[in-house]
Amino acid sequence: MGLGYLTTIGTFVGIYIILTLSLNIISGYAGQVSLGHAAFFGIGAYTSALLTLKVGFSFWLALPAAMIIAGFIGAGVGIISLRIKGDFLAVTTIGINFVIVTVFEYSDFFGGAYGIMGIQYPMLFGLKISKFYYLMLVFFFVVVTAFFCFLISKSWIGLALETIREDEDAAEASGLNCAKFKIIAFAMGCAFAGLAGVLYAHFMRFITPNDFTFPVSITIVAMMVVGGIGTIRGPILGALLMAALPELLRPLANYRLLFYGGLIVFMTRFQPQGLFGENAFIIKKLFGQNLRAAFSKRNRVGGEEI
Amino acid sequence: MLQQVVNGIIIGSLYALIAVGLTMVYGILRILHIAHAAVFVSGAYLGLLVYTYTQSLILALILAAVGCSIFGWLIQRFLYTPLLTEARIVPLIASVGLFILCEDLFRLLGGPYIRAFKVDLWFDKLIFFDTVVTAHQCLIVIGTAACLVSVYFLINRTKLGLAWQATAQDMDTAKAMGVNIKQVINFNFIIASSIAAIAGVLTAINYNSVLPTMGSVPAYKMFAIVVLGGLGSIPGTIAAGLIIGMAETIMSAYFGFIMPRDAIAFSAMILILIFRPQGLFGKGV
Amino acid sequence: MKVFAIIKKGWAGASIMALAMVIIMAYGHAVLAEPIKIGLMAPLTGPAAADGLSVKQSCEMLVENINAAGGINGNKIKLIVYDDQFDAKQAVIVAHKMIEGDKVVAGVSGSYSFTSRAAAQVFQENKVPFSVGYAVHPAVTAGGPYVFRVTILGHVQGKAGGMAAAKLMGVKTVSMLIQDNDFGQSLAKGFRMYAEKLGLKIVSADKFKMGEKEFSPVLTKIKKLNPDLIYNTAYPHDGALILKQAADLGIKAKQMGSEGLDSTIGFLEVAGKAAEGIVITTNLDRDSTVPITRKYLDGYEKKYGVAPDMTGASTYDALLMIIDAIKKVGTDSEKIIQAFRTMKGWQGVTGKIQEFTPNGEVIKDVELQVVKGGKFRRFGVISDQKVLQP
Repeated sequence: MGLGYLTTIGTFVGIYIILTLSLNIISGYAGQVSLGHAAFFGIGAYTSALLTLKVGFSFWLALPAAMIIAGFIGAGVGIISLRIKGDFLAVTTIGINFVIVTVFEYSDFFGGAYGIMGIQYPMLFGLKISKFYYLMLVFFFVVVTAFFCFLISKSWIGLALETIREDEDAAEASGLNCAKFKIIAFAMGCAFAGLAGVLYAHFMRFITPNDFTFPVSITIVAMMVVGGIGTIRGPILGALLMAALPELLRPLANYRLLFYGGLIVFMTRFQPQGLFGENAFIIKKLFGQNLRAAFSKRNRVGGEEI
Repeated sequence: MLQQVVNGIIIGSLYALIAVGLTMVYGILRILHIAHAAVFVSGAYLGLLVYTYTQSLILALILAAVGCSIFGWLIQRFLYTPLLTEARIVPLIASVGLFILCEDLFRLLGGPYIRAFKVDLWFDKLIFFDTVVTAHQCLIVIGTAACLVSVYFLINRTKLGLAWQATAQDMDTAKAMGVNIKQVINFNFIIASSIAAIAGVLTAINYNSVLPTMGSVPAYKMFAIVVLGGLGSIPGTIAAGLIIGMAETIMSAYFGFIMPRDAIAFSAMILILIFRPQGLFGKGV
Repeated sequence: MKVFAIIKKGWAGASIMALAMVIIMAYGHAVLAEPIKIGLMAPLTGPAAADGLSVKQSCEMLVENINAAGGINGNKIKLIVYDDQFDAKQAVIVAHKMIEGDKVVAGVSGSYSFTSRAAAQVFQENKVPFSVGYAVHPAVTAGGPYVFRVTILGHVQGKAGGMAAAKLMGVKTVSMLIQDNDFGQSLAKGFRMYAEKLGLKIVSADKFKMGEKEFSPVLTKIKKLNPDLIYNTAYPHDGALILKQAADLGIKAKQMGSEGLDSTIGFLEVAGKAAEGIVITTNLDRDSTVPITRKYLDGYEKKYGVAPDMTGASTYDALLMIIDAIKKVGTDSEKIIQAFRTMKGWQGVTGKIQEFTPNGEVIKDVELQVVKGGKFRRFGVISDQKVLQP
C-alpha cells in the first residue's frame, strides 16, 4: 500500500489524537461536558488559514497565534460554563458549535459556503514540509500534546480539576477557586483543538464549514469515551482505533455507520470506562487489577439496580 | 400578519410535540435522549407502512404509536437503565451512538430515497381572507392539542401521573415512599415514544416525505427547545416550542439572509440561558 | 513410407507449432487482458446517500454494458467504487487508495464539490486524470490540468436560467430562493447577473439551508410581493417542498429551478401536482431523441426500476468520457489529458460537449425542461455562446 495513503491516514489519526486529548482536558480532567469541540478545531483552522493567506504570517507564527485565539474564545466558553451548568452546558456547547459554524458559513470574510482554498504547506528553511515530513510534524505535536496532558494531570492544576470533577460543591467549600480552574481547563483544551485545526488546514489546504460541524464533535467525544475518558492512553488509543478502523473495514463500507453507532452503543453499555480506561476488561486482564480508583460517579440517580 | 402567525404556530406545534417526549424522559431519567429522534423517524416509517396497506390514517397513527412504544421501551430497558449509575456523559453518548446506528438502519432497510406519504383528507385547505391553512396543518394542530391535553390529563389527574411527578422531583425519595419506579419509567417511555410516533406520522404527511435523514435536524434542535423551556418542564417545553417556531418564522420572513434557521434556535437558547440558566420554566439548578 | 514419414512429421510439426501458437496467444491474451481499472468516488453513506446510489448504479450499468460488448479494445474495465462518506478527509484517503493501492488509470467523481475538490488535489499531485461529474465549485478544476469537469459551472447555468427567464418565460419580476451552499450561491450569482442585464427586476433574494423543510414564512413574504417568477436553487426534496407550500399558499407566480431539481423520485413524486409547469435548467433532456441518451434513460429504468436523475447521468458521462479517451489513446495519463483537451463535439447522455476550456471546463448547451403531466419534457435550449463561456 502506497506511502501517500499511509502518511495520509497517519496524519489524520495524529490530528484526531490531538483533538481527543484536548477534549479530555475539558471533559475528562475537569468533568465539563463539551459537545461542540469541533468549533475550536475550526477556529484554529480558519485563523491559521486567514493569517497565512491574508496577513502574510508564516506557518510558524500563525500556529501559536491560532492556538492563542482558540484558547481565548475557549476561555469565553469557560466563563459561560460558570453560569450554565451540567446538561444545560452540554446543550449550550452544541449551540456554540452551530453558531460558530454559521459564522464561518454566512460571512464572506471566512469564505462563506465556498470555504478557503489555497492554503500552503509550511516552509522550513526554504524547504516545503509536506507528506512524510508533515506526518512527522504532526507526530511531534501529538507527543507535545500528550506530554502537556501528562504534566497537567500530575500538577497542581490537574489536582484542582480532579477535585472539581469529583465534587464541585466540596471543592468550592474547601476554598478552591473553581471558576478560575474551569476557565483554564476550557482555555487549554480549546487551544489544543486549535492546534489540531492548524495542522488540518495546512494539510488539506482547503477548508469548508462542513469540516467542523456537530457530527465531528460527536466523533471526538466518541473517541474519548470509547478509548477511556480521563486517561491519556484512552484518547490516544480511542482515536487510533476509530480513525484507523474504517480503513480495515472498507469492504464493509456500506455498513460503516451501523458499526460506528453499534460500537459506541456497545462500548458505553458494557465498558463505560472505555476500552483502555480504568476498570477496563483489557486492563484487568493484562494487569490483574484496577489501575486507579474508579472514575467519577457524581450526580448519580440512585446507586442501585432499579 | 395572520398567515405568518399561523405558520409559526404550525411549526411550533410540531416542535413542541417532538420535544415533549424528550423532556419527559429527561424529567425522570436525567438523560438527554437523542435517540428520541430515531423513534420519531421510525414512527414515520411505521405509519407509512401501515397506511400503505390499510389506507387508514387512524390505524397508521395507532400502530405507529404501539410500535414506537415497544422501541422506546427496548431502548430504556437495555441501554438507559443499566447506565443510570454511570457518569453523565455515558448515556448521552450511548444515545448518540444508537441514533447514528438507527439512521443508517433506516437507510439500509428502507433505501436512501425519499418516499412520498400522501394522505388525502376530506378537505384541501381552509382559506380565511388571505390566510391559508391546509388540511394537513389542521391535523397537526389538532393532533398536537390532543396529545398535549392527554399528557396533562395523565400526569395531573391519574395516580400514575402523581407517581410520575414524584419521581421527576426526586427518584430516591419517591422510591423510599413506595413508588413503583420501574412502572413509572415504563409508563414514561411509552407515552413519550407514542407522542414521537404521532409527531413522526404528522410530520411525514405534512411534508409528503419519509426519508432516513428526517431525524437529523430534530435530533439537535429539540435540545435547544427542551433546554430553553427548562429541562424536565413540560409546560416550559411547549412554550419554548411555540416561541422558537414563531422566532424562526419571523426571522425567515423578514431577516432570512442573516442566519440559517437552526442557528436561531440555538442562539435564542444561549441568550435566554445567560439570563436564566435554568431555562424559562426550569427549576433552579 | 518415406512420404508418410514426412507427412507425419509435417503434421506433428504443424500441430506442435499450432499448439505452441495457441499457448502463446492464450498466455499473451491473459497478460494483455488485464482489466483497466477506473476508480469511482461517491457519497454512498451519509446525507447524500441517495445521490451516491444513483451514481453507483449508473456507472455500474455503463461498465457492464461496455464489458458485455467486449470492453475497451478487448480489455475489460474494472470499476472500483469507494464511499467518500460525504467527508473531505475520506475523499483524500480514498483518492490515495485508488491511486496507490489500486493503481487506477483514472478517477471519476460522482460526489459533491468539497469532496471532489479534496480528491482532485491528490489526483493532480500524482498526475492521474480525474473526471468530475456534477460538482460545480470552481476550485475543483483550479488545481491543474489533470482535472476535468463534464458539467456546466454553477454560474454558467445560472446565467442560462436568467436568459431563459427573460426571453422565454415572459416575466418581469423575480423572487429568488437561494440555497446557501456553493451550488446554490453560484447559480444565484449567474442568474442575477443575466436577469438584471436583460431587464428583469429581482424583488427579493432569500437564503435557506440545505435540508430546510419549512418555507411558508418566506413564501408568505414573497406572496405579498407578488413577483411573476420564483427562482430557486434547491435540491430535489427542498425544491419539492418549496413548490408544494407555494401552491398551498395560493401563490400564482411561475416557478423556475435548476438541475438540482432534476430527479423524478426526489422531486416530482414529493411535489406532486404542485410541480406542474416549473421550468428547470439542466443537462438531461427526457425527450431527447439522441440514441445514447435514450439508451441510458430506458436502460436505467429497466434495470433498476426507478427513473435516473441528474447526478447519475452526469457521472455516467464523466466515466464514459474517460472510457472513450482510453479507447482512443490508451492508458497513458498524458495522452488521456491531451485527448480531453483536443476533443470537440463529444456526445454524451447529458448533451454535446462543444469543447473544453484550458481550465478543464466544458462549453455545452444548457437544456431547459418543463414539467408537464407529471413528467419532465423538453422546453428549450440555451446556446448563446456568451452565456456558455465559463
